[in-house]
Amino acid sequence: MSVAAAGVAKTPARGIATLAKPAEWQLALPLALAYAAFFLVPLLLLLAVSAFEDEKITVLGFANWRKFFGDPFYWKVTFDTVKLGFLTVIATTLIGYPIALVYLGSSPRWQRVILFIVILPLLTSVVVRTFAWIVILGREGVINQTVMWLGISPAPLRLLQTEVGLVMALTQIEMPLLLLPLLSVMSRMDPNLRDASAALGASKWRTLFKVTLPLSLPGLIAGCMLVFASSTTAFISQFVIGGNRLVYLPLLIWQQSLVVYNWPLASVAALTLLVSVSLGVVLIATLGRRSKGYVHA
Amino acid sequence: MTSRPYTRRKFLAASAVVGSGSLVWRPAYAKGSVTAAMYPGTWEEAYRTHVAPALKKAHNVDLGMTPLFAVDQIAKAQAARGTPPFDAFVLDPGPRVTGIERGLFEKFDPKRLTNVGKLPAGAVDEWGVTVAAQVVGIGYNPKKLPRPKGWEDLLKDPWLSRLGMTGFQTTFGTVSIIEIAKRFGGSETNVEPFFTEIKKVLPKVAAIGAPASMPALFQQGQCDVTYTNTQTVDTLKSRGVDIEFVKPESGAVTFFTTVHIAKGSKEIDNAYKYFDTVISTAVQTALMQPPNNFVPVNREVKLSVNLPMANLDEMSKFVRHDWSKINPLRAGWIERFNREVSK
Repeated sequence: MSVAAAGVAKTPARGIATLAKPAEWQLALPLALAYAAFFLVPLLLLLAVSAFEDEKITVLGFANWRKFFGDPFYWKVTFDTVKLGFLTVIATTLIGYPIALVYLGSSPRWQRVILFIVILPLLTSVVVRTFAWIVILGREGVINQTVMWLGISPAPLRLLQTEVGLVMALTQIEMPLLLLPLLSVMSRMDPNLRDASAALGASKWRTLFKVTLPLSLPGLIAGCMLVFASSTTAFISQFVIGGNRLVYLPLLIWQQSLVVYNWPLASVAALTLLVSVSLGVVLIATLGRRSKGYVHA
Repeated sequence: MTSRPYTRRKFLAASAVVGSGSLVWRPAYAKGSVTAAMYPGTWEEAYRTHVAPALKKAHNVDLGMTPLFAVDQIAKAQAARGTPPFDAFVLDPGPRVTGIERGLFEKFDPKRLTNVGKLPAGAVDEWGVTVAAQVVGIGYNPKKLPRPKGWEDLLKDPWLSRLGMTGFQTTFGTVSIIEIAKRFGGSETNVEPFFTEIKKVLPKVAAIGAPASMPALFQQGQCDVTYTNTQTVDTLKSRGVDIEFVKPESGAVTFFTTVHIAKGSKEIDNAYKYFDTVISTAVQTALMQPPNNFVPVNREVKLSVNLPMANLDEMSKFVRHDWSKINPLRAGWIERFNREVSK
């Protein structure tokens, strides 16, 4: 008999009373059931499919796992995918955090305007936004025309199908995901704390690093996690802007599942993506917690 | 007493669970309808405009469409395991062969089509019927580049540095790369010479893009020459893009788009009526006109001047490929392409 079962056997009456009493957990039941049906079961199926060797899913074996992890090319693709996520997080934070500071220092009216501008891109489809970046980054696009007009480069720069171009596009596409949690936390921040810091003689920079940043950290971490998870899995943007020159895990999954129908290998790639994105998210959360301790110290 | 509200709630919860069973979505099998998988974009628009009204008028059958690319149709039908999410497939040759191999189609009886006599020889078989042809060649911008003569020109300057490429994910991409490989000593089953040649010139290639983004890349001047089909060239032309179609010296490539009945479909009769409507002279003529620009398969249709042939019989001289040989090699080619062209 297991320890848990023994525990229940010892206090049967109490166990039943707890179960019969309506409790908060019952409210979460529909979501939990949906989660089990639409996430856990497919995830288990994915695991099961990855344990087959052939495309017709008949022979059990781990040939696809060995193929994937025994090949430096797939390691590189996994590394590039995670790297793309972190580059996008860094770029969105560097550009997004100052915007959030502007929001913090604005009047309520301007705050509404800034919030509207932040939400605006979400109202357009990601496909439209991605195709718009072809126009911006192209040889005859806005950036190249400006670069050539300013005389910075005699020939158009290659921006499409480069990592730099893709990070630029993803930074704009994912920006609302960083800003929305950040602005939500910042709008709840007590302005008196910053005034108190200034009144006690702290410079603006000191106030930023000792008061504003630590207080906004939960929003920033949440935003960074969303941006990381979204940019590493952004198949459309990665494929349309990156083309075939940049190969990331979502492209591999698509090719293997829908073009060559090798579902076992696609499952291995999908599970690798899931694990590497989860590890990235955990890393961001850990870094966030540690730096919180640091800024408070 | 505290048990009463709980009993009521329990009753409500139980009713909700029981009641929700009736809310589970069930597909509506209206009498006189057929659900067809359809390529998104031009195909879906053209079929909604021309085929759906013609089918309704001729047979009083409603045409429902599920927008899916060929590869997605195979994947969905395979995942559905015997309960197909649609009644009819529309497929390119590669996915068609996969569908036959995996037993996804009902057997097809050409005699049930009244218009079958208007099709060229070989347009029907025991699995389905051809509804459109695609002619693949080279599209280039005549204002920026001289006219290329053949496939091998694509890997030479001035075309190379303005070349837009796609990989083996699409049918037109695969057949074009095979044709390039042939010019350098390769064959239908050997694309090695293509990889050898492309490796030498890779940094100079203007764009290696996602198939769906190629028209946008051409329109934006990111590339000025690419392998493509007549339909894409005509569509871009009608939007004012400077593009011309070139039939390569070694011959244009052609492949056929076929329709098939999904295994387990409950609307087999209506599927035949739908196919018969698609290949009728009136519908084929309408589909050929801009902005649809389909290549017809009905011999009674008077061909548009934009097409690179005077009649359908000329197409028998065009280059064709055996997809039962290509399919087994394609996974390896895709993987190889990823490795060779990724930075």
